[in-house]
Amino acid sequence: MKGGLLEVWRDTRQLVLAAQIAAIYAAVLIPFKVGIPIIPGFVELRPANAIPVVASLLFGPAAAWGAALGNLIGDLFGTLGPGSLFGLLGNFLYGYVPYRLWGRLGPLSSGRPPEPRTPRQILEYALICILASLACAGTIGWGLDVMRLLPFQVLAPAIFINNVLMSSVLGPPLLLFLYPRVARWGLLYADGPRDRKAAWAHSPVPAQAQRAPDGPRILIRDLHFTYRNVAHPALHGLSLSVKAGTLTVVLGGSGAGKSTLCYCLNGLIPDYLPGEFSGSVLIDGRDTRQATVSQHARSVGLLFQDFEAQLVSTNVERELAFTLGNLCPDLSREAIAARITDTLRLVGLDGHRARDPLSLSGGERQRLAIASVLAPRPPVLVLDDPTTDLDPAGRGALYALLRKLVETGTTVVLTDHETEDAVQADQACLLSQGGLVWDGRPDRLLRRPALLEQCDVRPLPLSAFFARLGYRDELPLTPEEAVTRLKGKHVQIEEPTVTAAFPDPVAPVVIEARAVEFVYPSGVLGGRPALDHVDLTVRQGECIAIVGANGSGKTTLAKLFKGLLVPTRGEVRIHGEDTRRMTAGRLASAVGYVFQNPDHQIFADTVSEEVAFGPRNLGVPSHDVPERVREALEAVVLERPGIADADPFSLTKGDRQRVAVASVLATRPAILIFDEPTTGLDYREIRGMMELIRRLNQAGHTIVMITHLMWVAAEYAARCVVLQAGRVATDDRTRAVFAQPERLGPLGLRVPQIPRFTQHYGRTLLTQEELEACFRIA
Amino acid sequence: MELFLYREADTVLHRLDARTKILGLLTLFTVALLFSQPALQAGWLVAVLALALLGRCLPNLKKLWVLLLLLFLYCLILWPMFVKGPLSKTVAFSLAMGLRLDVMVIAGVIVLSTTRVEDFTVGLQRLGLPGPMAFACSLAFRWVPAFLGTAQAVVQAQQARGLDLQGGNVVVRAGRYVPLMIPLMTHVLRQTLLLAMALEAKGFDPSAIRTRAGESRFTPADDAVLAGLAVLLLLSLWLRWKGYGVVEGVGF
Repeated sequence: MKGGLLEVWRDTRQLVLAAQIAAIYAAVLIPFKVGIPIIPGFVELRPANAIPVVASLLFGPAAAWGAALGNLIGDLFGTLGPGSLFGLLGNFLYGYVPYRLWGRLGPLSSGRPPEPRTPRQILEYALICILASLACAGTIGWGLDVMRLLPFQVLAPAIFINNVLMSSVLGPPLLLFLYPRVARWGLLYADGPRDRKAAWAHSPVPAQAQRAPDGPRILIRDLHFTYRNVAHPALHGLSLSVKAGTLTVVLGGSGAGKSTLCYCLNGLIPDYLPGEFSGSVLIDGRDTRQATVSQHARSVGLLFQDFEAQLVSTNVERELAFTLGNLCPDLSREAIAARITDTLRLVGLDGHRARDPLSLSGGERQRLAIASVLAPRPPVLVLDDPTTDLDPAGRGALYALLRKLVETGTTVVLTDHETEDAVQADQACLLSQGGLVWDGRPDRLLRRPALLEQCDVRPLPLSAFFARLGYRDELPLTPEEAVTRLKGKHVQIEEPTVTAAFPDPVAPVVIEARAVEFVYPSGVLGGRPALDHVDLTVRQGECIAIVGANGSGKTTLAKLFKGLLVPTRGEVRIHGEDTRRMTAGRLASAVGYVFQNPDHQIFADTVSEEVAFGPRNLGVPSHDVPERVREALEAVVLERPGIADADPFSLTKGDRQRVAVASVLATRPAILIFDEPTTGLDYREIRGMMELIRRLNQAGHTIVMITHLMWVAAEYAARCVVLQAGRVATDDRTRAVFAQPERLGPLGLRVPQIPRFTQHYGRTLLTQEELEACFRIA
Repeated sequence: MELFLYREADTVLHRLDARTKILGLLTLFTVALLFSQPALQAGWLVAVLALALLGRCLPNLKKLWVLLLLLFLYCLILWPMFVKGPLSKTVAFSLAMGLRLDVMVIAGVIVLSTTRVEDFTVGLQRLGLPGPMAFACSLAFRWVPAFLGTAQAVVQAQQARGLDLQGGNVVVRAGRYVPLMIPLMTHVLRQTLLLAMALEAKGFDPSAIRTRAGESRFTPADDAVLAGLAVLLLLSLWLRWKGYGVVEGVGF
């Protein structure tokens, strides 16, 4: 037996699991109902009722607590009453009985893990569902009857039927999918909580080590690390030194080891993430292996890539108070309040002290996450890929904030995959496949475009261009530098031949939005319309980019085109039909929508099952489905042997994105909408995805894509629609849009390097190919 | 956040300590459960509605009026079938049960409308709920809207591929939730390790959870309310022991 009910509360991981189960249970309990209610408002058929059994068989005691708390929290949204106590108990039993009884039913047990595959396992599972439901229904029914709230004879059978039905219909598919994956992620109950406390009990907390005054704040020597159960090392032979009070940027492609390096800096590796570790990481002369992660938090603050996941409070002030309470227990209340004020002012959030983080914008939430890590004033701040979701204005603001922090003495290390802001750093490192390939001044690194490209990092286009012209040293990094380099030479840039043909005005209109207004219900955005008076026409075969600052309405517009939302005023027509009158099936076969996060869709065991989902929903006859799947996988170039039967979660992010595109293509839509298709991809993967999109456009699909990468819009879209605060600010050929940089600035957008450069010579060129073709030095 | 019942306002109830409100809720439940006479329960109902007015919670009650009505009707219809006795008495009993159920739900709504989530869990903690559990509660509460958002994104993503959640019998419709629940649970579970790491990276230690800075203290208003609640409870217990407030002649 690995760990009991009380162990859950002594292990962070299990505590988090219990809280997550509670939150999922409550979240699915509230809105989702199936069929007519048994006792409306009280006992309704809800898919959520399958969760405790499934969670119990996967996670053991954490599920019992999770189910109990989840029910309580569900009650906190409206029906808190004395019945809640029995609801708590009943659901606790509902989540306790399954894992205790599995394998202990004597001759009826299958003797195998809780995956309902073989008849014996299915029988055992069914029995356990019945027993657990009995325990739950009995407890709640009896309790509410004793209190004379509702009669036992009515309530208990109702709950019993509800639970048995849902757990038997939904339980097996959930278990069959989740069990192997949960096993792989190391979360199975059988893995048990890790026994870390014992190790630290003996080693005293090391005193503040003496650091030589001019010594480096961070010193890494010959670091090797291989994750457990993985063949190749994540980092090998890495040696790095970072001076105090500097800003260091670590560049690299996917899988280069950037996140691993971040986790090594605050002791998560090897304390939390086990594996083979050799070499040393010294912060202020102290080895990271000599203390726990919590102890390290005093000297190193780490901001994870998914910063939303790090926020724990419903209130800005308390978010900071949480960290301060943990790490600075000796501060008085007044001192804590003062520290909170100072930190909020530092990140620019003063005045937002009492707000709910969910009401803040994405950029503000990130600053809150930074503030919560900064509050105890750690001397080192590490940020793992903080710029992925930010628009150009947001990136600029983040780098400005980091520079400000560096001026106050903090040492900042961040990872990034875009190079435009890297010049602002004091030190730049380039990682590739776990090794440190370059370490030095950022401007020198940016003058090695070939090296950057080799490591899947996007080189600055101008430096790449000048390298190709034959210049060797002092490659320019900005348009201004480039112009200076060319002073005295007679530069001529010819008119480019239009490569991306602007659509035929005679081509049929496929999407039409007329006077569209959309207001989100429940007061999101403070009642301001997300879209206001939008008129847009899209013709067959076009490739359009929708750009704009965060919150300008891009995703809303795209969802209206797909029919996921209907306008509160005005209309959206697809091939002439109003989206309000189209069925889900008709919409799916007319418009394909590729979501930003492919993981929101994956639910099948294999890639081909995943891709087949769309056609099956549309009623495509089953003998035609394999053909559609094959065709779709071919279109996204996922043809290597074995890919069709692979587990989607075993693929890289880039490949999962392709699976998502394939699953959309399988319904053969003529129109394709891509919502930020490049999120989380490195340079090489972005090129791959954009080439795929270009090929699809050339094959005849109409493409609408939302992006905040201006260079992607410049290079791949013939037409650009710029949104601002819900209105169309500009809608024109891409070239015309970028020819007016003074208009884009106030909209929070940056014109990419190549157009900015050529505009010095009176032209607007968009891509490197155009530049190479049209650039002449007389 | 629309989900939460908490409404920002400055009323007497808002200013009370969370512990007072929780204890008040428990007292009210106990007192309501003691009696089964409709007139008395109707009195409680009026009292509780007055409290709702005081705490400016009426809009929340308006949101839940269907639930309140349904619960009342069930009691009215179901109890007479399971209690024995003359018709007038059983009806009186059921009426009392219906009113009582509503009184308790409304009392719960009032507490939830006038107390912030974090204050509620801190209050529970100071009343004896172990620190780690209270913390897990507040974490879960914080995550519910986020998970709902993810659930919505998943619904949209699958609907975009033609998933139709309407139509079909119960079993079929339940089955259609598989492509919704799997991505949601997977998404959440893949974050577990990250979340645990993030907490520890902020110095979190489950065995050393402390109540946070800025917590409230008992004010004279709290003391007065608690005293009043104690009196109410004792009085009710005494009355019940004396046999008042019960509908006679009803058995099970």
